[in-house]
Amino acid sequence: MDPIIHLNDVSKSFDGLRLRRMVRIVRRYLSGNGSGLEHYFALRQINLDVLRGDKIALIGNNGSGKTSLLKLIAGLYRPTDGRIDVSGRVLLLRGVGTGMVDELTVAENLFLYGVIYGMERSKIREKFDEVMEWAELKDFASAELRTLSSGMRARMAFSLARHFDTDVFLLDEAFAVGDKDFKEKYEEVFRKQKNGDKTYIIATHDLDFARMFCAKTIWLQKGRLMAFGETESVLNRYVGPNYPAPIRVSANQ
Amino acid sequence: MKMFDKKYLTLLRELAVTRYKLKDQSTILGFAWSFLNPLIMLGLLFSLFSARLGKGIDHYAIYLLIGLVQYNHFSSSTNRSMHVLLAMKSLTADAIFPKELLVIGSAIADFVELIAAMLVCLMIAKLSGVELSLPVLALPLVFLFQLTLVLWVSLCLSCLYVFVRDLTYIYQAFMRLLLFATPIFYAPSFLEKGPAQYVLWLNPLSHLLDFSRSLILKGDGVPLTQMILFFAVNFALLYGSIRLFRKYEPTFAEYL
Repeated sequence: MDPIIHLNDVSKSFDGLRLRRMVRIVRRYLSGNGSGLEHYFALRQINLDVLRGDKIALIGNNGSGKTSLLKLIAGLYRPTDGRIDVSGRVLLLRGVGTGMVDELTVAENLFLYGVIYGMERSKIREKFDEVMEWAELKDFASAELRTLSSGMRARMAFSLARHFDTDVFLLDEAFAVGDKDFKEKYEEVFRKQKNGDKTYIIATHDLDFARMFCAKTIWLQKGRLMAFGETESVLNRYVGPNYPAPIRVSANQ
Repeated sequence: MKMFDKKYLTLLRELAVTRYKLKDQSTILGFAWSFLNPLIMLGLLFSLFSARLGKGIDHYAIYLLIGLVQYNHFSSSTNRSMHVLLAMKSLTADAIFPKELLVIGSAIADFVELIAAMLVCLMIAKLSGVELSLPVLALPLVFLFQLTLVLWVSLCLSCLYVFVRDLTYIYQAFMRLLLFATPIFYAPSFLEKGPAQYVLWLNPLSHLLDFSRSLILKGDGVPLTQMILFFAVNFALLYGSIRLFRKYEPTFAEYL
């Protein structure tokens, strides 16, 4: 099967803007001991093949290059070296409700958010009641968004995001702020998607979620690909073999 | 072009409506400011210049008002659009769609105010005794020209602003110079022949004011060749600015 995403020796470095670089060069020249040109690699020589329908967790410490990798695949960053081929529609979800506006109402934001991610207004209208009900925000349609807590916003955004249509979903800790109930509902949605043909790459620190949803895992460290393969074996290397498997404790225990 | 896809046109509409709703939202008078500002300036400039510079100009107050409304719109719209990529940073850096839609949406939101302000201008002209005639119906063309001008300037500014934040101050200074280099409170004939007239000729705003004043105050048509030339040049610049914007768009997310 041809990969839906192919990365060949991809590196990404950030070295500042040419003009800022010019300012630095002038400063260095004038002071004789300026900071000069510094650039750092966010990612180094990444090779990766993602197949259609893959569910992949992207793990690694903060600053390991997870967001950079997702943005490169999304086409928001250009690789410094290497080549990226993506054969399908891609959607990147970062943060809670990207593009939503505090001063607008929940209903207005729902339309704005949906349209930003390629939904037709008619489809949003059609799904509106179901989305609000799923998010448990039926009574908040005309409230200003700023009056909602971050958990409520996450519910609202995720509730609509369930209806986004694309080939590849790139999620960057997108809805990680909800409470226990939300997490259960959220995981239920993913559980249903587990055997679907959509491709998911999800940057997460929630290793239990990675185990539950993702058959494969990418581990990045300081911009390098440490491992890519079957989730359990990658997690064993990431946290060590003694990392405890999740224990479910019922309320009456 | 990708931006003419149906889903992007829907997004453009949504962005323009959002920008429009957010404009002046925290102010008490809201939209009225787009007309009150020129009126305040009108009071000041009329009291200063009507005796000298206004001599020989029929309906000098309306002449001034037309100039101020169009200059104000150009100034505020390009200024707002210049900052839009940064103001909507999460969309610029994290969402996947042609980012020129953010700039165009912002310009369209301001364009609605230009039309409304010019309609008020027409009403005041009528009430103050200006005889409006058939050529006034060509005003929408002038609005369209002004939108084209605002669009290409905004696309260039917003793109450049991502990399050079000093542009805010440079542009403020430029707009102050433009206030005097545009025949807002004087007639073009007031300037001596020579470099000053070339500046006026090169200044697209002075052509736009000339078009509007001819249509409203004189009831004359606008010379067709001048209009075609103006449109062709501005359309070419709009095309060039979209190419420039597209060239640098993939780097925006890295610098915001």
